[in-house]
Amino acid sequence: MTTLWDTTGTAVVRALSEARLEAGGVARGLVLTLVVVADEEQVAEAERAASVASSAHPCRVLIVVRRQVNAAQPRLDAEVLIGGRLGPGESVILRMSGRLGLHAESVVLPLLASDSPVVTWWVGDPPDLIAHDPLGVLADRRVTDIANAADPLAALEQRARDFAPGDTDLAWSRTTPWRAVLAGAFDGVPGTATDASVTARPGSTSGTLLACWLGGRLGIHVPVVEAEGRGIQAIELNLDGGEGAGGTTIALARDGDRSGTLSRTGEPDRTMPLPWFDLGDLLAEELRRLDDDPVYAAALGLSADLGDLADRPRTRTHVWRDPAERSAS
Amino acid sequence: MVAEPRAAATNPLRDPRDRRLPRVPDPCALVVFGVTGDLARKKLIPAIYDLGNRGLLPPGFALLGFARRDWDHGDFEELAMEAAKAHCRTPWRPEAWQRISEAVRFVPGSFDDDEAFDTLAQTLIDLEASHGIGGNTAFYLSIPPAMFPVVLKQMERTGMADNHVSGGWRRVVVEKPFGHDLASSRELNHLVDSVFTAKDVFRIDHYLGKETIQNLLALRFANTLFEPIWNAHYVDSVQITMAEDVGIAGRAGFYDSAGAARDVLQNHLLQLLALTAMEEPVAFDADALRIEKSKVLDAISLPTDLDRYAIRGRYEQGWLAGERVHGYLDESGIPKTSTTESYAAVRLGVETRRWAGVPFYLRTGKRLPRRVTEIAVSFAKAPHLPFAVTDTTELGNNQLVIRVQPDEGVTLRFGSKVPGSAMEVRDVSMDFSYGAAFTEGSPEAYERLILDVLLGDATLFPRNEEVEASWRVVDPLEAFWAGKQPHAYRAGEWGPRAADDMLAADGRSWRRP
Repeated sequence: MTTLWDTTGTAVVRALSEARLEAGGVARGLVLTLVVVADEEQVAEAERAASVASSAHPCRVLIVVRRQVNAAQPRLDAEVLIGGRLGPGESVILRMSGRLGLHAESVVLPLLASDSPVVTWWVGDPPDLIAHDPLGVLADRRVTDIANAADPLAALEQRARDFAPGDTDLAWSRTTPWRAVLAGAFDGVPGTATDASVTARPGSTSGTLLACWLGGRLGIHVPVVEAEGRGIQAIELNLDGGEGAGGTTIALARDGDRSGTLSRTGEPDRTMPLPWFDLGDLLAEELRRLDDDPVYAAALGLSADLGDLADRPRTRTHVWRDPAERSAS
Repeated sequence: MVAEPRAAATNPLRDPRDRRLPRVPDPCALVVFGVTGDLARKKLIPAIYDLGNRGLLPPGFALLGFARRDWDHGDFEELAMEAAKAHCRTPWRPEAWQRISEAVRFVPGSFDDDEAFDTLAQTLIDLEASHGIGGNTAFYLSIPPAMFPVVLKQMERTGMADNHVSGGWRRVVVEKPFGHDLASSRELNHLVDSVFTAKDVFRIDHYLGKETIQNLLALRFANTLFEPIWNAHYVDSVQITMAEDVGIAGRAGFYDSAGAARDVLQNHLLQLLALTAMEEPVAFDADALRIEKSKVLDAISLPTDLDRYAIRGRYEQGWLAGERVHGYLDESGIPKTSTTESYAAVRLGVETRRWAGVPFYLRTGKRLPRRVTEIAVSFAKAPHLPFAVTDTTELGNNQLVIRVQPDEGVTLRFGSKVPGSAMEVRDVSMDFSYGAAFTEGSPEAYERLILDVLLGDATLFPRNEEVEASWRVVDPLEAFWAGKQPHAYRAGEWGPRAADDMLAADGRSWRRP
């Protein structure tokens, strides 16, 4: 580990390449660069998640912490780690104070692994417009996590308005186990869906996305029923035409932390895997696919009534925004 | 918007672009014959647990064991749990096993017992109602081939193997050996195909389930870099090695009747050769792959001088990995008069425009220094070197090595200048390691193959034409070797001297893996 106080971007690049040489073989086969944008108090959480994700997909992790944008003197402190607490790959933690935080890309650009994809992940609230953050503009894939926003549903709508292919949100990754079980339960079921509902915690963005996905696929409106508790709690679906004329009901409800009960008319209840993914697992799932996710684009578009978003242009242009000016006005 | 009417088979929730959702098979049951055997305990049951743990088993899934034991479901479930716990790849989670154990059944009986098979058929029907397995069943024959006829006849008698009677799909999984020569394999194929339809028969060659083998196809057909030089103009020779450090412990009876050529060369090595040498398939599916592999296997030629180019060996006592080990003839269960080989090496040709004149050296053996499987493609030397002769003495052939196991990956060897004031060129190796680029756990071969059987995807399974074509290669070798004594090699050596001489005669040498 190399720690550099009050340093420059060039010194960080040199420290990283020295550390690579010293480490010998461990730093081979990088497949991507993961840029993590975090606040100081989120760093520990972000490090944990990044180490899980980078052990599944060896990557260079660059954690960018911006603090005290209004500090008088810009300053950069850095920590270079290879094969340490941040997983088997290479990682650099960059702490930027003062106006440097607004030009973080000047430090990050020379540190990106050459000619491989860049993924930017905002641990906390993403910028309203991703184009405001140059670290989002330079990324091929952008991962946000709006579940902890002050008003998650408003944040979801903002994600839809600001969407460009390559964006995903962890709220969508959290629906994957539910969607997998549900798609499996639908195999070989005769009939057409007539109505369905999703039960979720009030303001659950995952619940909303799941309902929109289901509604979009089945061509019906799927309401979200609010119930106190954690995340998505249950799905119920009715189909006509199956089981004689009586129709079929498919229901999936969470029981416990790792499993759910699947019931289908005419069949015994089954226990299915329905794990709660922690942050690291969710991030690893995002890194598995570096192309855009049109299924998410469709569900997100439906949630904000904006139609299919998959055809929007892929790239963004940086829009300069100075927080100092904004607070002054 | 109103949903369009659709056939029952299409699932509106599935979208090929939605790659987050896993491929999950139809509701089905898996029946394992010989469930108390080693393979079932060490590979099959753990693989099923791992599939379940990864959420890849359908909601309606049942596991049935059939064996001659006086057990009930509980005893079997206990054994299965122990086996899964001891050998699983993914973390052990009791609740994941709980989901599988809800649908574990055991049917006791011997293979000639009509009543036991009636019970089995009835159990499947019952499970259809109670567990929603929908008439779909895969039968895994983890039993000696001698038992196949009687088991298959029982399935025929009870109608278990019939797609129409069951109203779903019925598939059968067969392990090697697929016969012991062309005639017996034809007989076996005929027997299995008469009970099941040919497309429902899955012959497992677990090497083909390995990630690196699938990566060989990606390497060849997804890149522009290698295919232009993948031919006799640039390739000097190919070496395919499958070495094992273990002896024949526990398999003496079977092994002594088969030998290295039948046990490994006929199936694994020839399949690896076929994948290395085949033309590009028109699609990545079972039929297209089978067509290309069959073409290569049919084009294989044997050397005329078998004395020099078909070598077999047998290990004597020696030291391996710091331990003293017995010779082959001293292993328990091996008759002193045995002439079976524990090592086989052969030079084959592939008579196509692409490969004419390129030797394919295949070797396999037991009690070799380490366990390793690899395909090494050696390229021709540069036609002209502008350097002084002394500058390039340490430069060998460029090589592309596909490491199948262990340390799965690809090595590329090429010449590079040694730093310093003199021009000196030496070989360096560039390594791509699966472990480093994608540490996301590679599934076990059996996990992948069982999933493919349940999904009905036969891409990674050899078809009977391939098995028969392979026997056409091995039969003449066996006929040539019959009655002769194998060459001796010391346990812990890379095979007999005669095998080294075979390459030396061509001006080459074996690669040390």
